[in-house]
Formats: sequence, structure tokens, C-alpha cells
Amino acid sequence: MQKILPFLLLIFLISCKEENKSKPPNSASSPKGDTLQVEFAKGFSAVDYGTHKILKVSNPFPESDKTYTYLLTRSGEKPPKDIDYDERVNIPIEKIVVTSTTHIPSLESLEVENTLVGFPDLDYISSPKTRQRIEEDKIADLDQNENINLEVLLSLQPDAVIGFSMKENNKVYSNISNAGTPVIFNGDWNEENPMGKAEWIKFFGVMYDKEAEAEKHFETIKENYESAKALISQEVEEKPTVLSGAMYQDVWYLPGGKSWMAQFIADAGGNYLYKNTDETGSLSLSFESVFDKARDAEIWIAPSGFTSFEQMKEDSKHYTEFEAFKNKQLYGYTATKGETGGVLYFELAPNRPDLVLKDLIKIFHPELLADYENTFFKALE
Amino acid sequence: MSAKKIRIYFGISLLFLLCFFLLNISLGSVQIPFSQTLKSLFGQLTENQAHAYIIKHYRLPKAITSILVGSGLAVSGLLMQTLFRNPLAGPYVLGLSSGASLGVALVIMGGSLFGITAFFLSSWGVIFAASIGSFLVMLAVIAASFRMKNTMAILIIGIMFAALTGAIVNVLSYFSPSEQLQRYVFWSFGSLGNLSTQELSILGLFWLLGMILAVFSLKTLNALLLGENYAQSMGASIKTNRLLVIVATSLLAGSITAFAGPIAFVGLAVPHLVRLVIPVSNHLILMPAVLIAGAILMLICDVIAQLPGSELTLPINAVTSIFGAPIVIWLLMRKKKLVF
Repeated sequence: MQKILPFLLLIFLISCKEENKSKPPNSASSPKGDTLQVEFAKGFSAVDYGTHKILKVSNPFPESDKTYTYLLTRSGEKPPKDIDYDERVNIPIEKIVVTSTTHIPSLESLEVENTLVGFPDLDYISSPKTRQRIEEDKIADLDQNENINLEVLLSLQPDAVIGFSMKENNKVYSNISNAGTPVIFNGDWNEENPMGKAEWIKFFGVMYDKEAEAEKHFETIKENYESAKALISQEVEEKPTVLSGAMYQDVWYLPGGKSWMAQFIADAGGNYLYKNTDETGSLSLSFESVFDKARDAEIWIAPSGFTSFEQMKEDSKHYTEFEAFKNKQLYGYTATKGETGGVLYFELAPNRPDLVLKDLIKIFHPELLADYENTFFKALE
Repeated sequence: MSAKKIRIYFGISLLFLLCFFLLNISLGSVQIPFSQTLKSLFGQLTENQAHAYIIKHYRLPKAITSILVGSGLAVSGLLMQTLFRNPLAGPYVLGLSSGASLGVALVIMGGSLFGITAFFLSSWGVIFAASIGSFLVMLAVIAASFRMKNTMAILIIGIMFAALTGAIVNVLSYFSPSEQLQRYVFWSFGSLGNLSTQELSILGLFWLLGMILAVFSLKTLNALLLGENYAQSMGASIKTNRLLVIVATSLLAGSITAFAGPIAFVGLAVPHLVRLVIPVSNHLILMPAVLIAGAILMLICDVIAQLPGSELTLPINAVTSIFGAPIVIWLLMRKKKLVF
């Protein structure tokens, strides 16, 4: 199950966790620090004290309320003595290992992609910039995320490993940490708000002393998102009904009403048929209940990994009974792949909510974005 | 038991089967009035097209699959228990489900290793792989059965095959990416509800073949109950008949595993349940009783798995064991001894 859970999450790119119960208290540690502005993300906070920084990451796993404190010190500076911390990292980072493709776009936007020295399962990476570096053998393959090759990783001597994990007490990461390489957890996938996920670029900004660049980048995305969203609130009256997901065997997996995807659909002027459900993760429903409710849905997005009508028909003839299927109103994101088969959406979408939103607006209300070409969501063949 | 009593028993259980069949079709996540269910079943027009589709194209095939799967597994369990004279035997002791699992695992998770083409990744590919897998294991078991005089040795060989294939599946799982592993795990949960009409008719054909062979072996099975030597002295050719039983089981369990996934428990438990209710050892009575009981049990399990009224469902493989095991334990405790 440990290996399956990450995938379920990747399929829908949905986070599933409860609301943060407490904001990490930064002000308590020292009044002098310069607190990083964080607007949407709930999972991290940072304070710069000049000689050192404190980065806090709260519940990077579902169902956990643990907050990790990371002490980031500059070389030559003496670290303060009276601080409890989980890991200590020297900044700015010169060599880094990341474990999720969602971390790659942040590194590239901050122009520090050349610090990346290792990644588990390189084939998942799609970005041309980083692929180029892989071709040049500058990034080591660390096997799989659940099964990182410890020896190769340690021989790279990275300043930090950015981990992501579905559960606390991950053996791999505790082994890395015990061997003296600091592990910093990243909870970007756990954010429920589309802008919140994108804001994790600031988390990387802190580690590279590039807070300003991260802020600037994030503001651009935010403005793009807001202006696209504004198109909808002004002009749209008719909202098309929307279905999502597909079946494994006869169980239908689809994003819950409070999930990341549901928020995108709402912001893009779609009427998601399951918007009134409370789940922040995915729903698993019986075929018949979905059929009963969504047979007449006008548009169907993200039908699992399917890329063509033929594939879907072969998998189950039930799909062909849906109106959206009959009218060819099906849009998926898995057809856009990188050179080695990684799905671009999984890598880039969390960092670029503006593009996801525009894709969906173009699908729901094509007249509003006449000249825009979709990045992720393409009509099925 | 008198013949009259047995006839009454069968009459009642057939009635039960019909009731549970209708119950199975009328209950599900979506609430459909019973009158509409009947109308849709008999091809009359109903107001709600979606409901009619659900009844005819989803619930009806699912109910028929339940009957085929439940009865097929139960009968092959009975055959195995008698052949091996072992109350722990089930349709899977020959390593059939492990063979099927290995086939499916190779196709789903070993695809990249062997450059398997798109056909094998379709649903037919999975069915094909499972059939080939269990067929090859069956051939191996038959080959062994010709060399072995002792039936128990075949049982051990079957278990060894299961261990061997299980280990290979583990190695494949260890190296495969999560998408593929997930597909495999979903297959292993078992499913009754995703068979097309075509698939269902092929399953039905295998079921019929298996059942016919089982009927032919009934007499030998009765003789076998008294021991292999005794059966031989009665004139039953042990080798040929043993083969007949093994082929019948393989056809039933192999095709069911291929189409519905490895469904646990039913094959082992139903023969015991039946023996606890009607204590007979004559297979001419036992087999039809086990057949009907298996079908009823599977229909009930499927109703539970659908969690009527809620939009959620449970995997069928979990339901059969969670609800079936306590019933067997309870019956055993009440009777205080195993009827075998």
C-alpha cells in the first residue's frame, strides 16, 4: 500500500489532509527576525535572523501535526545555541537532492537547477532544461523514491535532501538523516489551495537566499491567475456541468468537492457535479451512482490515464454511454509527456496554477481565451 | 436423509437463490424502485433511461457473474477437498490462482522488461495472461500427478508452485513503478462488476465445461471418500479420474480467476457450510447443494460489497472473508465437530 498511495495522489494531484490546526509560531522565537511573507501556503514559514534562518514545515504528511524546525546557517557564522532544531543545513545550498518532480520547476525558476545532483527515477523528469543535464550525466539516478539508493546518495554529499513522504517515520529518510545528510520535508502536495501549492517556490527561495526572486515569480503567477479568474466572474452566466476521473474495475475515482481540482473547476467557471462533497482528497464511488448522476454531464476532464476514446471503449463499454463521451467532450492531461515518458502535468501543474486554470477556461468557455493554446489538458483523440 | 426431505431442501434453496438474485439486482448505490427493476429486466420501457441501463447492463451481468463465480469456486473447492481428502483444500491449493497471478503480474508489471505490446495491456490481455498462467500450472500438476502415486504429494507440489510463483510476483512488485503495481493490486482485489457480455459468455462456457466434467467424476468422488485403495478395488480408475477432477477444477477456478480476480474463501468455506447444514457425504446430493449455496453466498457478498444506499463500495475479496469467516467459525463452534 505504501507504493500505491503516492500514485493515487499523483493521479488526481489532490492533497488529502485536514486543515492545519496551528500556524507555526515564528514570532515567539525572536522579535528581531524578518518573517517571510506567505499568503496561501499553510505548510511552511520562515524567519531570517541575519546570521541564520529558521524554516518551519508543519505537517508534511497527512494525519500528522508535527512541525519540523530547520536551522539554516551561513558558512562562517556561528549558529545560535539555544535553538531546538530537527536538522541543520548550510546555506545557500550548493548541492541538492530532490525527490518529487514538482520540486524541479521551482529550482528552474530560481535558476539554481545546476545545484541538483540526484533524483530518484530520472525518467519521470520532463523539463527540457533538466533533461539536458541528465543527458550530460550531471544528475545521478537514485532508484525509486520508496527505495532510495543510500550509497549513491551519500556519495553525492548533498547539502540537503528535500524529501516528500506519505507517512511519518519513513525509514529511507531516517537512514539518510542518521548518516549525516540533512533531510528537509516538503509538503507542497499537501496544500489544498492551488496558489498554496505554487507558493512553495518560496520554500526553495529561503534555502538559496533567493527570497526576492521567489516572491517575484510567485506574484507573476498570482496576477496571471487572478486575471484569468476575473474573466469568469464578469462574463459567464452559463456554467457547463463537469465530470472527472474514471474507473478501476468498477469503482470510480474522482476528486472530492474540496480538492485542488474542484477549486480549479469552480474558478474556471465549471459546474463540478461533486462540488458539494466534503472530501479534500479523492472519492471512490460505485459505477452506478456516478452513471446516475453524471451521465448527462457536458464536459468530462481528466479521465484517469486515458488518452484516446478507443482506449476507454476497450476498457469499459459503460464509458460510451456518457453524453460527454458521445459528444467528444473529453479532455485529459496524460497525453502531454516528456521525452522519457514523465507526465508534464504532474511535474509542472502544481507550480503553474495559472496555466491549469487557463486550460480549463479554454475548455469550459473557449470564447473567453480565443488565442490561448492549452498546456496540459488536450482533447482526447 | 429421506429423498423427500432432500427434495424439499432443494426446492427451498432454489427459491432462495431466485430471491437473492432479485435482491442483488434491486439493491445498489442508486435507489431504483422494485417495479422499475422488474420492468427493466423484462425489457419494458421505463421513465428513467439511466436506471434501465444500470439494471440491464451493470447489475444483471454482475448478478450472473456472482452466480457463476460463487458456484464455480464452491464446486471446485468440494472437488479438491474430496480428491485430497483434506478439509483445508480449496480450489487454489493446486497453485492455480498463483499461476494466474503470475501471468497477470508478468503482463502488468513485467511489460517493460519483455517489450509486451498494447494488446497484452488491454483487459483481454490480462484475462489471457491469467488463463495461460493457471493453465501452465495445471499442466505441471497433471504431469506431477502421473508420476506420483500419492495424492498428498500433489497437494504439496501445488503449494510449492504457489510459493514459487508468489515469490516471482514479489520480485516483480518490488521493481515496478507504482502505477503498474496499483493496477495489479486492483486486479487482486477481485471484481464482479466489470465483465462485458462477451467476457461473461466466455466465462459461462468454461463454467459449463467444468461443471460437466465435475458431474462425470461424481461417482469416483463417492468411492474416493472411502480411500484410494478401496476406490481402486471398486473398479474406479484412479489416475484417469484424478485427472478429470483436476481438469474440472482448473477450468472452473482458472477461468474465474482470469475474469474476476483471485476471490478467496468461497471455495474453501462453502463445502463446509453445506456439510454443516445437511450432513450428507453423497456427492450426487452434495454437489448441487454446494453449487446453489456458493451462488447464494456470492450474491449476498456482492450485495454487502455494494453497500446499498451509499455511493461507496467495498472490494469483493475482502467481503467474502470478513463476512464469511465468522459464519463458518460460528457454525463449527455450534456443532462442536467438523463434518467431513
